[in-house]
Amino acid sequence: MTFDWSIIWQSMGALWQGALVTIALTVLTMVLAVPLGIVVALLRESRLKPVSALATAYVELMRNVPIILVVYWAFYVLPILTGVGFSPFLTGLVALVLNNTAYNSETFRSGIRSIRKGQTEAGLALGMSEGEAFRKIVLPQAWRRVLPILATTWVTLFKDTSLVSVIAVGDLAHTALQIRSQSFRVIEMLTAMAAIYWLLGYPQAKIVDWIHRKYGVTE
Amino acid sequence: MTDTLAKLPQGSTLPDVVIEYRDVRKQYGEFVALAGVNLEVRRGQVVCLIGPSGSGKSTLLRCTNGLETMSSGEVYFDGMPLSKDPRKNRLIRQRMGMVFQNFELFPHKTALGNIMMGPMTVLGLSEEKARTRAEALLAKVGLSEKASNYPANLSGGQQQRVAIARALAMEPEVMLFDEPTSALDPETIGEVLNVMKRLADDGMTMVVVTHEMTFARRVADHVVVFANGQIVEQGRPEQIFDAPQTTRTRDFLSHLGWDG
Ligand SMILES: Nc1ncnc2c1ncn2[C@@H]1O[C@H](COP(=O)(O)OP(=O)(O)O)[C@@H](O)[C@H]1O
Ligand SMILES: [Mg+2]
Repeated sequence: MTFDWSIIWQSMGALWQGALVTIALTVLTMVLAVPLGIVVALLRESRLKPVSALATAYVELMRNVPIILVVYWAFYVLPILTGVGFSPFLTGLVALVLNNTAYNSETFRSGIRSIRKGQTEAGLALGMSEGEAFRKIVLPQAWRRVLPILATTWVTLFKDTSLVSVIAVGDLAHTALQIRSQSFRVIEMLTAMAAIYWLLGYPQAKIVDWIHRKYGVTE
Repeated sequence: MTDTLAKLPQGSTLPDVVIEYRDVRKQYGEFVALAGVNLEVRRGQVVCLIGPSGSGKSTLLRCTNGLETMSSGEVYFDGMPLSKDPRKNRLIRQRMGMVFQNFELFPHKTALGNIMMGPMTVLGLSEEKARTRAEALLAKVGLSEKASNYPANLSGGQQQRVAIARALAMEPEVMLFDEPTSALDPETIGEVLNVMKRLADDGMTMVVVTHEMTFARRVADHVVVFANGQIVEQGRPEQIFDAPQTTRTRDFLSHLGWDG
């Protein structure tokens, strides 16, 4: 068996493009799924039963269905539901946001619940509204507790973006697999793909470790 | 008390009632935590609530500013009835400070930041004005040099003094204390009681749940004894501590080792 590693150098531009798409997907997903996660966490605590039931159903569905199914679902159902054609990138983004919002809402819910009720009461006793007490007292404290978990979610998400390659989003995985099937350089391209994911992912994992050390244990 | 009476305008017969409890009842399922409490707190008065643990003292205090909803009955603050909907009692809460057994300082804010939070969020004070007010209050509780400390770096007694300053920053007309020294090391109890004593001397209206009988005896104008969700006896401290009228009060005091 002979290898032709030059294919990697020839494809460097395309791979770089793919990597950028992967990074963009990760960042945009998180930027949307963090605030949405807070919103869903709050909806689950709503006093209105139908609202909390709906939010719970959404979270439980997303947590127990494979992401790849959500990706396909978004690809086929989204255009029917909305009547608009979505680009593959946007479709992939919607699927990842749907999935990540559910996970983040669970993260925030446990973070919010870990703050003693007395803290909110101290705010209420000063005359704050429930909303003010949540924003000024609960959220800033919950934030420190959820940050390590969000960081771990981030690294998982970075790798899971590869699942949107099934609907031809031009991310790193899709780009590399395309080149593989055109050049028949299977081993070379898979190796390159692994190397690039690792090169990008390793520093992120190190940052996550650092966040865990900094915020993980303190009260 | 005499000071307070002396400050009253000519012609008044009695200091005005600030808080009035009318047949306040609270049930948790089958369990009766408050079984019909009637009580009046007058302006400038220090009222101490004493009694065995679980007798409903905290529940009554929390009904006072609407942190707890009553099952039935009424609480009036300055003539206004508290709403059954706890969210509607914001304006009343602004005028009542509350101090908790576990301090409940905000751990993500410095001592100064804790005190500035209420005035800035609720009263809309500028940062500069809130800071001036907070610094004056920290000085008042003797903690000026701890302004930039986070709660984690303060002793229990210091935390509770900051918590008192935080409540005072809203310039309340009434202060509610729920066992403010019960979570403290014995050596820091005195500094908190001193701050409370000075507050009382300044004429603040105070409702204090406490097990510190010496404090109740020396500072209270009126002592209320609770048992099983009811008031079993009330009166001047001398009367309650030296000549208790009910066995419930006598049992409670002897249980605490109080010998007059
Ligand atoms: N949220 C609650 N659910 C059920 N029971 C409660 C609740 N809060 C207080 N109680 C009960 O009500 C009674 C009175 O409590 P509390 O007012 O805290 O007593 P005290 O402050 O005099 O020690 C206690 O027996 C307590 O167990
Ligand atoms: Mg209590």
